[in-house]
Amino acid sequence: MLEIVILGRGGQGAQTAGNQLARALFDEGLFVQVFATYGGARRGTPVASSLRADTRPIRLRSDITRADALLCFDESLLNEAFLRRGREGALVLVNSAREAADFTVADRRIVPLDGRAIARRNDMGKVVNSALLGGFAAALGQPALESICAVIEQTAPAKVAQNLAACREAHALVAGQLEEMA
Amino acid sequence: MNRMLNDDLQLLNGNHAVAWGVRLAGPDVAPVYPITPQTPILEKLIAFQAEGKFDCDLLTPESEHSAMAAAVAASATGARVFTATSSQGLMLMHELLHYASGARMPIVMFNVNRTPAAPWGFWPDQTDSLSQRDTGWVQLYSEHPQESLDTVVQAFRIAEACELPVMVNHDAFYVSHAVEPVSVPEAKAVRDFLPRRERSLWLDTGIGRSIGAPAGQEAWHASRREMDAAMARVEDLTREAGRLWGEATGRAYDVLEAYRMEGAQLAFVTMGSMAGTAREAVDALREAGLAAGMVRLRLFRPLPAAALRAALADIPVALVLDRNFSPGMGGIVHQELAAALYGHDGPRLYGFLAGVGGINVPVERLVALAREYRDAAPTHAPIWLE
Repeated sequence: MLEIVILGRGGQGAQTAGNQLARALFDEGLFVQVFATYGGARRGTPVASSLRADTRPIRLRSDITRADALLCFDESLLNEAFLRRGREGALVLVNSAREAADFTVADRRIVPLDGRAIARRNDMGKVVNSALLGGFAAALGQPALESICAVIEQTAPAKVAQNLAACREAHALVAGQLEEMA
Repeated sequence: MNRMLNDDLQLLNGNHAVAWGVRLAGPDVAPVYPITPQTPILEKLIAFQAEGKFDCDLLTPESEHSAMAAAVAASATGARVFTATSSQGLMLMHELLHYASGARMPIVMFNVNRTPAAPWGFWPDQTDSLSQRDTGWVQLYSEHPQESLDTVVQAFRIAEACELPVMVNHDAFYVSHAVEPVSVPEAKAVRDFLPRRERSLWLDTGIGRSIGAPAGQEAWHASRREMDAAMARVEDLTREAGRLWGEATGRAYDVLEAYRMEGAQLAFVTMGSMAGTAREAVDALREAGLAAGMVRLRLFRPLPAAALRAALADIPVALVLDRNFSPGMGGIVHQELAAALYGHDGPRLYGFLAGVGGINVPVERLVALAREYRDAAPTHAPIWLE
């Protein structure tokens, strides 16, 4: 089973990203479960989206405590407590302009991605979720870029072309980084 | 092996699955007041109505108390009525819950189980509905979004057959906000499953009649004897609805579910979303050589006592997992099960307050619990799970 936790601040689109990622994995033939947890949902408070994907129906109804991958929408939320929700060696994609070497985190594979810069370049303002999704899919190795793009096309409320461009740019950027590292 | 890509599954969260069930059941009136984490049910119904797909008098009164008052009044005219709520909203309805059952209104209500304040919280916990157990409502508990859709439809059939209100419950977030593959049945299948039936009593401006007027002692007493007789039919009605639903959709249901109980030496007993995690614990324990099983209670009111006794007849140890808390007593399913087993041979019972306030209960915790308690000393005291 693949387990993922996405963390963002209310209004940033973490919940939407979780739903879009789940739909793309579902469209590729996997069973999925994705649920958001929040307190009194207010703009700016932390919102987490938990996602499971598997080749068989998912029965587990508990929190994800050993995720295979974490996606962090806001660098200020990248603390110990969040990192502990990932298993040892978990992929952590974080929305940040810093370099991977700037993060001193043991036993986690940190991949920074400057989602804000990509969003700006693609006329998306501060809306980073399509960029982060593209980058995250590249780092994770699934779902395929085209699966993510198909979901964005169906679900983006506006600026579909810009969302797609941001997603593709981020995907290429992260895929390129990983190739260099390999 | 992957899912078949040509199947009819769509991704819905638990609350939207409920809204789909309600849309297919076709209530005439739905008075609903929004409350987290129930609100997506109301939002989806409003969206269906805006699309012209849900022909229903959707009322949004100023409180849950008024919503239930409107539900009772609408139901008294013979209308098919749905409402939905959660936690504080359900508790604000309390006096009218008694009224609805006493007046024999077959209202269907969906409740999303959420912690009662104080302190304020939004977490999965069944204390809200379980504390309404004596109000005369039938209570069903669902484990996952598909079951929530299926059960809300079945609830109308059960309610209208016995003329008692039915409350269906699922857990906040783990079910209400969990987006999962759900199969939405054909409208015709639901129409055939849910024929309109004439009520035994209804209000009509053309007929001089009243419902719920002051009654003498004898009449009041008789009303409770009649409710008792109606409640006594619910178990069979629930089984019948579950069987017919199985014939229509391929998904059959019963009043309780036994999971891997063959030759079990230990059983978990639980309700709602906890059952999903307990299944994984049962599989892990069996894999490791301990014959574990699970009994999931689906119908809580009326309590299917004989079925529970039969399911647990040859089981040495039962661990009850209660995601609820009755202060001064413990877990409510534990109390109910102990009462059902009293005077009968049955397992040694342990009552765990598991996940109260929505804290996480992982598979490993349940596996450890089974190992720790299979040979433990008996105790009636509730045991808190950290």
